[in-house]
Amino acid sequence: MKILSQVVATLSHLPGVVVAMVVGANDGLIVETSAIKGGNPDEKDPRKHTAALGAYLYSKATRASDAARLGTPAFMRLEAEQGHICVVGARDVVLVTIVTPDANLGRVRLDMMTEARSIS
Amino acid sequence: MTDPTVAEGWVAAPLGRLKDDARLLSGVLLYPTGRAVGQFGFSNAADVMSICALTSAINASSRELGRQLDGKPFYETHHAGADRQVFMARCAAGSQEFLFVGVFDRESSLGVVEIYFAEFQKTLEKLRPETQGTGVGPTGDFEGELNRSLDALFGPLGKR
Repeated sequence: MKILSQVVATLSHLPGVVVAMVVGANDGLIVETSAIKGGNPDEKDPRKHTAALGAYLYSKATRASDAARLGTPAFMRLEAEQGHICVVGARDVVLVTIVTPDANLGRVRLDMMTEARSIS
Repeated sequence: MTDPTVAEGWVAAPLGRLKDDARLLSGVLLYPTGRAVGQFGFSNAADVMSICALTSAINASSRELGRQLDGKPFYETHHAGADRQVFMARCAAGSQEFLFVGVFDRESSLGVVEIYFAEFQKTLEKLRPETQGTGVGPTGDFEGELNRSLDALFGPLGKR
């Protein structure tokens, strides 16, 4: 099983990934996180909010998927004006990334799912 | 879920927002002395009375425990039960300190409660208690203060 700091390091080095985090699936608290790429020190740190709300959204998506009899969601992507939030579940944790709009989402998706399997 | 009932009107809006945003089942805002300021999720004054007394005592104990173990008081407490979880923390409005205790289940999470409680703290910091200085400090009449605040929340005894 891969250690969580390695998972975060791998994901954060992908082109377009602004921040990568391992977050508790039940409590929404950050377990491991990368630094924010290109972060402005004067701006509010978005990691705690993104982690908590990303994990919360994933739990709701899981319920919606279950209600639709589709099973566990494989990958969740929230597309916003200035980028994406991607979430993948891995047992007791979820992997959360903030991604720029021009990132290679296919690569991000593939690597997040691979990393999720490595810690499951 | 019911709207908050408050003994002091200025906390109604921020307390209601916290309840909705953090998806809390119930909660009480109180003075460290145990006097209730506002509550939601409870219909029984006796429950609020017990919670105020216990929260006040837990706050005093955890602060002292923090001082003993870590050299500084513990200001936030979280207890995860099998189905429900309890979150306790302090906040301030002006120079007046308050305690908050909230209960949530799997519809929320500690992370979500923490971020919305931080917003609640910021909102409260900008407000001023309407009744500041009217006996909010410890008077020694713990039971009397508690009963007066419960009367304000649920109506006088006999009409509850």
